[in-house]
Amino acid sequence: MSAIPPGDAACETVRAQMDAYLSNELPAPGGREIAHHLEGCSTCQAELATRTRVRAQLQDAVRATPVPDRLEDKIRRAVRGRHARPRTGLWAVAAAAAVILCAILIGLWRAQPSPEEAILRKTAGPLAAVLNVGLRDHLQCAVFRKYSKQPVPAAQMAAELGPGFADLAPLLAAKLPADFRIIQAHHCSAGRRQYTHFIIAGSRGKLVSLILTRKQSGEWLSAGIHQAGVDRFQVAAFESQDFLAYVISDLDAEQDLRWAANLAPTVREYLAAHGNNT
Amino acid sequence: MPHLKELYRTAVRLLGDGPKAEDVVQETYLQAWKSFERFAPGTNCRAWLFKILINTTHRHRRNWFNLHLVKESEEILEQTAAATPPIPERFARQEILRALDGLPADYRAAVLLADVEEFSYKEIAGVLDVPIGTVMSRLSRGRKLLREQLSELARSYGIGQAGKEGSA
Repeated sequence: MSAIPPGDAACETVRAQMDAYLSNELPAPGGREIAHHLEGCSTCQAELATRTRVRAQLQDAVRATPVPDRLEDKIRRAVRGRHARPRTGLWAVAAAAAVILCAILIGLWRAQPSPEEAILRKTAGPLAAVLNVGLRDHLQCAVFRKYSKQPVPAAQMAAELGPGFADLAPLLAAKLPADFRIIQAHHCSAGRRQYTHFIIAGSRGKLVSLILTRKQSGEWLSAGIHQAGVDRFQVAAFESQDFLAYVISDLDAEQDLRWAANLAPTVREYLAAHGNNT
Repeated sequence: MPHLKELYRTAVRLLGDGPKAEDVVQETYLQAWKSFERFAPGTNCRAWLFKILINTTHRHRRNWFNLHLVKESEEILEQTAAATPPIPERFARQEILRALDGLPADYRAAVLLADVEEFSYKEIAGVLDVPIGTVMSRLSRGRKLLREQLSELARSYGIGQAGKEGSA
């Protein structure tokens, strides 16, 4: 059996298997070849050391999570309670029915949230507030609003966008897949906030929004594209210096992400050049 | 109570929230208690409890915002053969956890089960109900994203630029 020789291609081979090596999951011959390569390759040694260190740091950080004192008792009580039910008699059935009926009535009595609020309420997590900023406009303006699905003429779009954003529409149009086109482009508002909104429709009823809004204080996203899914919608978000940008759709997660990755450079470049006029 | 600590810390990292994690862990034990007759003696009790935990977590998370942080472009789909950019030797625990919480949930679960709970690939495949190949790719991508996030964090502090040691 030949050991993996040192060199870039060999290093790539080793690194591709390094995770299995680190988990002690490589069958013996592969493990031996890697060990042999590591002996003569300081670059791969350093890489393995980094990966090993990150794993140790992760172990340490997660294992330090304290368990709340009361949790064990709470669970014991719940297990005991669940398995010490009174015998079910007719009265119990009647009582259960009454409870269910009350619950239904209370549910009906509560004010029904609007459909977009119902979706926005499902969101949680560290960046939900920032992602919701875009999602709110998509729901309100592209999903639950009645409007013609016929594309608005280009001249009308340009007029509605105004000089600040008019040139962005054709730049975006050039980046879209062949079966998608911009059907509306305008400024709109949702939740007392202003947005620039491109509604893009595709074959088979797919709907994508590109939404831009000026950052407000305390709003930021770190580098890269953040993606999340809620209900049937995918939200991908990125930022420029002054704007938050969103690609929100009913595509699947990977497609939505590809769209965002495809449009982000154009959008960022445009905002960098025209940001002050918008 | 067996494995409470491991189940709880995993749930906290999967759900990002202590109270939700408590609910999910409680439900896990209730479920385990209820289906105890289905547990075959001699099989791995810990892996069995984790499988119930993961299923319960999925059920709870269905309606929650499932936050993914991914690198721009399609780097994420590539193999993990690239060398890691410099990462300082020490991070605060909170920073490590924040980087972990930024991983897509499926990757995070694989990384937690392999690197923190030290399950074998075969056990993880059983817990997550996916083929071993999927475990391997989720783990590799998860670890890679974690390294990248840590290295990005280090860059934002202006450390590790020349491959030197730094501390956060």
